[in-house]
Amino acid sequence: MQRRLRSKTSGILTAADYKKPGFRIVYSIILLVLFVAVLTALIPILWLFISSFKEAGELTATPYHLFPKVFDIGKLVEVWNMLNFWRYFLNTIIVVVGAVLCSVVFNGLLAYVFAIVKPKGYKIMFGLVMASYMIPALLSIVPLYREIINFGLINSYVPLWFMFGANAYYVIMFKNYFESLPKALFEAAEMDRCGKLRTFFRIVIPMSRPIIGVVAIFTMTAAWSDFLLPYLVLNDDSMMTVMVKIYNLQATMGTVQGFGPDKLLMLLTISIIPQIFIFALFQRQITGSAAAGAVKE
Amino acid sequence: MKKANALPVDRSSLTYKAKRLFKRNWSGWLLMLPGLLLFLFFVWAPLAENVLLSFSETKGFEAVGFNHFANYAQVFHDPMFTKALVNTFKYIFWSIIIGFLVPIVLGLLLSEAVHCKSFFRLGIYFPSIVSGMAVVIMWSYLFDPNPGAVLNQLLTALGLPVSKFLSDPDLTIPLIVVTMTWRGAGGTVLVYLSALQNIDNSQYEAARMDGAGALARIWHVTLPHIRSTIRMLFILQIISVFQVFYEPLVMTSGGPDGASVSLLLLSYQYAFQSFDAGASAATGVILAVIIISLTIVYLRLSRPKKNTVSRKWRKYAKKTAQ
Repeated sequence: MQRRLRSKTSGILTAADYKKPGFRIVYSIILLVLFVAVLTALIPILWLFISSFKEAGELTATPYHLFPKVFDIGKLVEVWNMLNFWRYFLNTIIVVVGAVLCSVVFNGLLAYVFAIVKPKGYKIMFGLVMASYMIPALLSIVPLYREIINFGLINSYVPLWFMFGANAYYVIMFKNYFESLPKALFEAAEMDRCGKLRTFFRIVIPMSRPIIGVVAIFTMTAAWSDFLLPYLVLNDDSMMTVMVKIYNLQATMGTVQGFGPDKLLMLLTISIIPQIFIFALFQRQITGSAAAGAVKE
Repeated sequence: MKKANALPVDRSSLTYKAKRLFKRNWSGWLLMLPGLLLFLFFVWAPLAENVLLSFSETKGFEAVGFNHFANYAQVFHDPMFTKALVNTFKYIFWSIIIGFLVPIVLGLLLSEAVHCKSFFRLGIYFPSIVSGMAVVIMWSYLFDPNPGAVLNQLLTALGLPVSKFLSDPDLTIPLIVVTMTWRGAGGTVLVYLSALQNIDNSQYEAARMDGAGALARIWHVTLPHIRSTIRMLFILQIISVFQVFYEPLVMTSGGPDGASVSLLLLSYQYAFQSFDAGASAATGVILAVIIISLTIVYLRLSRPKKNTVSRKWRKYAKKTAQ
């Protein structure tokens, strides 16, 4: 501990301060507070994982046992099979894949025009996109819902995919990135009479892997967790996504035979596991892009 | 870029200009078209329609006639709307108390840590990756008012009285804010952390030369540097609090007796529970006006300004420049 503090040369407190024993106590307090913060972040999830293996009565049994009497992994399988959960997972994957494709292609194309092609009058459209940046889509859910009904898109994944193709935040992220690409590249493409759409798919997309990754991860998490529009659009049980199904089950708790709170907790555990995998795979990109200003969901 | 040399073209004629304008721009507009259509369908048209609906008499979700401000008058006379408006300020109050300082402090501490830094960073960010719906349901089970449930047993073990948690009208909003903060703080911490890591180290050196203690360094160097970030995140937080929706929907359905209902939730309930699209649209428009005004304030403030740093900091900055 001492050695690494001695080599700390930047920040508010440095090696010079840590020569004094008082500051070493301060440093231990810093570590302690951070440790408590991490515990606060992790304990509820651990509680959920542990409790989801309990029987229904065990959740509120006095005296309280933190751990279930039996740790039966079979319960996970039982809940999974009871609800035929494969279907909801598959539905969610269909929604997520379509959403990521739409999100990258449509927002990317729009940003490409705003950043590079810049036809006359594009600024008006850019202004309109920017203006809708802060207004939550939820505000006008009734007219949107009515439009979806009128287009006959109830019980269809189409609106859920294309909704992610109209996201002002992703457009801005793409635009900022495209503007940082070397201009000479696009001039060369024009000289070679490479069409604008071809330029986008052949030059811009291959050169924009990092930003595509960020937008894809954002869309993936957003589409995975998205709830209200899927809930309104997907009425047919066989079309539902994981989140819609979970919300339905919790709202109708007690009416489904044999489905109690303990099984709902198990479903939550099941729904969180894929997100942990994604986080483990892309942690650097995810935390990096969050720092870049992912304040908005 | 070829020169037209075969025929003399009147370059000032209107048709020539229009042709040239079209020739140069049509492909760009064509490329924009799919994206713009999606924005039209998912964002602009619903928004415009919502404004129209708010001034219309509605039957189900259809507008059947213009009725001036009747929807607004109806909404303003609804005691539930007053509750939702007051609640919104309660949400803001509690989110400032609970959710505003925590990320700043954690960001500061994290930037000073040299041991297990990535463990702390990932651990604190972890709740943000869990989907909102799962978080909200999980916390509503943690806040189970049953005396045998986990938190009440903990309270009993500590010799405290059991709590009704979300069913207690005084606790419901603070507890919902705790849930939101638990999930959201990690992302905000990372934003502060990256702002803190951008501070030029030589200014700390200059402050140290000047004999500034640790607290003085925080006050005169750190805070002026992250002040604009703090101000931005503060307003963004307030804007996002105006959009509270899922948490009360799932955890309390706005209850007990409207004690946690938010404006957005009320707008949703008008539409999908009382099937009163006009009232729902009016509430939505009121909310949009509030959010847009706040956004304008936010954009004003997020522009970099001079003269916002403390005099001492400028002294340190000058010293390092020399």
